[in-house]
Amino acid sequence: MVVEHFSTRGRIVGLRTYIIRRLLAIIPTFFLTTMLVFTLINLAPGDPVLVMLAMRGKSGSPEMIEQMKQALGLDKPPHIRYLMWLSAFLRGDLGFSYSTGQPTIKMITDRLWWTLELMLVTEIVSLALGIILGVIAAVKHGSLIDAGSSLSALVGYSIPSFWLGLELLLVFSFLLGWFPTYGAQTSGTTFPSLFDALLDHLRHLVLPVIALTSAWVAYILRLVRSTMLEVLRQDYILTARAKGLKERIVIFKHALRNVLLPLVTYEGYSIGFLLGGAVVIETVFSWPGLGKFAVDVALRRDYPPIMGLTAIIAVMVLLSNLCADIAYAIVDPRIRYD
Amino acid sequence: MVWRLSTELGEETEEIYEPSKATRLFIVWRKLKKNRLAIVGGGIVLLVVGGALLAPMIAPYDPLQLHLGKERLPPSREFLFGTDNLGRDVFSWIVWGTRTSLYVGLAAVLIEVLVGLGLGMIAGYFGGKLDEILMRITDVVLCLPTILLLIVTLTMFEERGVNVIIMVMGAIGWPFMARVVRSEFLSLRESTYVEAAKSIGATNWRIMLRHILPNMLSTIIVLATMDIPWYIFYEAELTFLGFGDPLTVSWGILMELGRPYLRSAWWITAFPGAVIFLVSLGFNLLGDGLRDALDVKTRV
Repeated sequence: MVVEHFSTRGRIVGLRTYIIRRLLAIIPTFFLTTMLVFTLINLAPGDPVLVMLAMRGKSGSPEMIEQMKQALGLDKPPHIRYLMWLSAFLRGDLGFSYSTGQPTIKMITDRLWWTLELMLVTEIVSLALGIILGVIAAVKHGSLIDAGSSLSALVGYSIPSFWLGLELLLVFSFLLGWFPTYGAQTSGTTFPSLFDALLDHLRHLVLPVIALTSAWVAYILRLVRSTMLEVLRQDYILTARAKGLKERIVIFKHALRNVLLPLVTYEGYSIGFLLGGAVVIETVFSWPGLGKFAVDVALRRDYPPIMGLTAIIAVMVLLSNLCADIAYAIVDPRIRYD
Repeated sequence: MVWRLSTELGEETEEIYEPSKATRLFIVWRKLKKNRLAIVGGGIVLLVVGGALLAPMIAPYDPLQLHLGKERLPPSREFLFGTDNLGRDVFSWIVWGTRTSLYVGLAAVLIEVLVGLGLGMIAGYFGGKLDEILMRITDVVLCLPTILLLIVTLTMFEERGVNVIIMVMGAIGWPFMARVVRSEFLSLRESTYVEAAKSIGATNWRIMLRHILPNMLSTIIVLATMDIPWYIFYEAELTFLGFGDPLTVSWGILMELGRPYLRSAWWITAFPGAVIFLVSLGFNLLGDGLRDALDVKTRV
């Protein structure tokens, strides 16, 4: 995304300028995305007011429906309605759910933390495993360990995450009883101490994290391994070895540093990937996060939350991609052509 | 072709000259054959294609037929993979499901290639405003997690069927292909042979189609092969989450139906999922192998 926006001038700009330009570039993308989703939702069949009443099991007279329409601003043309939505969004108002009547923003903030936690733990585990295995595989290129890691990466990458989740649930929760079967915490019980509550929560976390990690760690492993292989071929590595440095120092001090570079920028795109994975993993494990929320509201066709959630996720992904691009620009000034 | 040569003694001899058999296709095929993993992948893909073509002969029952009184039976000789909650044979469902999956994968990839190639080609070659617009569209699609975009787009449709899913997936998938095509065209249009073609008066379209495109063919083939399992996966995921039509013979539907019975009838979810996994693996292995075989830098 970074290198492709060439211009005819082709000079390197300062970091601050680069950041500002990238930030400004995000804004139209955000508008376009929300406009797209808004359009999609508006093309959906069904009168919103009727849908809303139906969800709450009520009906109304034509006058009342007309009144509600005016109150919600649904009688205005689409572009006006989009601007109304946008101004409300910028003020932090994401509308109200058709089915529960709750404010969307509260529904989202209630669930945001659970998803972030899942994603964070997955990220940490994936990074640790991916880097360690990737480095080992590259250093012992051609050995059984290398082949084994590559193969397991391929398996992790090909396995459908929801199937993995279901089978994990079957074996480790239902059959072996080692882990709980749903949710983020055992409900209805009081815990003697904070430690016990934490432990219980961790037990709930294990299987979803394993399921979500399998695909992501495969990506990281592949990236680390191939980058490391390239780095190890470089001249400066040869120099370091010729200087008589211990192999461990060569790897960790000289090689690894250059491997971490593309990894850091790759990480910026992890939010999009992990959120996508979270959608189905949370559904399988009934994890009370945004992923499951997205599926629930989409199936119910509850449009305000759909719109609000999409906008928020778009912001999250755009900002994290921006961070990835900035990190890359900080580290490699050649990228800052603009 | 026969050459007449003179030897030192002034005699004439003949030598037969034959053009080399080492055409590009031959070289690629030979490299591919040596890659064991690619052969395994290719074998799996052939198995799936075979299953799709021979489904009426392989499947013991009609997948939609309800065998009353035989619901949720474990795998047995009568029902190889057991029966689902309505008494349908899981094995037959899986065999017939190959047709649905291949249809989904190939149709969606077709849309992706046609639209992505077309637009990417134009944007990459002509540049300028068209290119900017394309990049904007690509940015929009890439800034949301794919599954989320798929779900939101599907809410706009009343009906839920395989064709709707294919269309939506194709509509969301083409920007990725377009981006790759565009960047390749962008770099390849500066090639010397393009310059040469222009100097003898070749039209832009001719250059694009007859000169640049053939050089990109291998990239497109590999990308398309690697995208097929993704479309199969997304279709399964969407139907699993509940966005599909329960009457379609798709592997994802069986997983959705079997989910409440995970403990009591594990076979309903286990087998379809395993098949999706194997198919993904097969296409990925084949795609990796193709990529290595088509790479001109690797030798046999």
